Amino acid sequence: MRGFIKFLISFTFFILCWWAIQYLTKTPSYILPSPYKVFLSILNNIELLTYHSLITFFEIIIGFLLGTILGLYTGILFIISKSTRKWLLPFIILTQAIPIFAIAPILTLWVGYGIWSKIIMTILIIYFPITIAFYDGLKRIDPMIVNLAKMMGASTYTMLFKIRIPFALPQLSSGLKLAAAFAPMGAVIGEWVGSSKGLGYIMLYASGRVQIDLMFASIIILAFFTIILYNLVTFITNKLTKWDPKSNLN
Amino acid sequence: MIKSTSFSLNGSLSLNKDELFSNIQLEIKLNQWTVIIGQSGTGKSTLLKIIANLNIPVAFNNNISKNINEDLSFSWMAQNDLLLPWLNVLENITLGQKLRREKIDLHKANLLLEKVGLIDVAKQLPSTLSGGMRQRAALARTLMENNDIILMDEPFSSLDTITKSKIQKLTWSLLKNKTVIMVTHDPLEALMLSNTLYYVSNKQLKPIKLPSSKPLRKITNDNLIYSYKYILNLLKKSYI
Repeated sequence: MRGFIKFLISFTFFILCWWAIQYLTKTPSYILPSPYKVFLSILNNIELLTYHSLITFFEIIIGFLLGTILGLYTGILFIISKSTRKWLLPFIILTQAIPIFAIAPILTLWVGYGIWSKIIMTILIIYFPITIAFYDGLKRIDPMIVNLAKMMGASTYTMLFKIRIPFALPQLSSGLKLAAAFAPMGAVIGEWVGSSKGLGYIMLYASGRVQIDLMFASIIILAFFTIILYNLVTFITNKLTKWDPKSNLN
Repeated sequence: MIKSTSFSLNGSLSLNKDELFSNIQLEIKLNQWTVIIGQSGTGKSTLLKIIANLNIPVAFNNNISKNINEDLSFSWMAQNDLLLPWLNVLENITLGQKLRREKIDLHKANLLLEKVGLIDVAKQLPSTLSGGMRQRAALARTLMENNDIILMDEPFSSLDTITKSKIQKLTWSLLKNKTVIMVTHDPLEALMLSNTLYYVSNKQLKPIKLPSSKPLRKITNDNLIYSYKYILNLLKKSYI
């Protein structure tokens, strides 16, 4: 509750700053609309925005879940197979050097204009931080804890699921929080490149018709999605790592 | 078949090109406490890992041969208690059974917790316990496993003097009939807890003559001063 009140205070402060800048600089509303105009635009276009928001939200959630599963699987693969790590890790790093904007049109060409190209974009954006954070967490364990577990007769399975994975959770939660902040970006980039649905599409549509208030409305809704997703991930990871005082510093 | 009452280690150990032990001749008597004392970096902890068949860094060149019965099982107690921070005290103590997917013996675990004085904090996480309590939990975990040989790598070195003394006595009383191999820097600890005491000198392990064969010797002034001087002199020589 206290967190929500803090969020409301900072959000109000942000709206006030925005309003003050717009009012004091007398910027025309086709360049920077006032918060009130954006609010009106949300109300006037509520059906349109709800429809397209749900599509983007679906892409983000599915992309986030699939990217997380893939990242966890790769992290585990890296820790149990040295050769996989040696071959795959440089390739994964290489893919991160390619600008995501360059991949988006190719994906649309290959997968089509439907939601899958956006889901794949989301997966591509979050896969790297989750994989690396999880792998780092898995390998950072004190070698003597691993030795102790071996002496106690741990199998590969119990070593992984009872020792290594719980130990890696604080690191993984950092990766998941980064992913929660990046995931909406992936979906929207996909929608910008080729789509007739979603908030990214609405942004382009509004920009083309100089409906800047509608564009801002889309951005605000997307920002809310990101905040909700981030807080949801933080809530879950805090529950999972409540034993770690460093992960739960207030 | 005659049951062996001891096992031995022979050979050499080096780190990169530096020789740590040139000619180890170490005899470990079963059901007794063997203590090795020496400076840091002389390879004492690595020796324990070799005994337990644990992986040692590739930089070590291990030419030590052991005549240890392969069926012997090992427990490990270290300076770091190695408690898993996400498990409570009771779960940490029964970790071995959980890892082997055996039925958890809660009755035995609770008895051991009572013995080490941690029954009231059985459901607490290790992060809420003091250093001494954590080390007692590690001791209970070792007792729960009931392995043949207990390897101790400076298990009490992070504790304050009074807590250390209490836990040393508790550990000895609960493990007095077990085969314990301990490495330490502390001459007093070595003196009090050993049946057989070795010190590292000139890349060799040399036995030290002890004032009496009883471990946990009484700390009389004479005994203490004599033994302390004796051990410190030997350690000084090993610096030269």
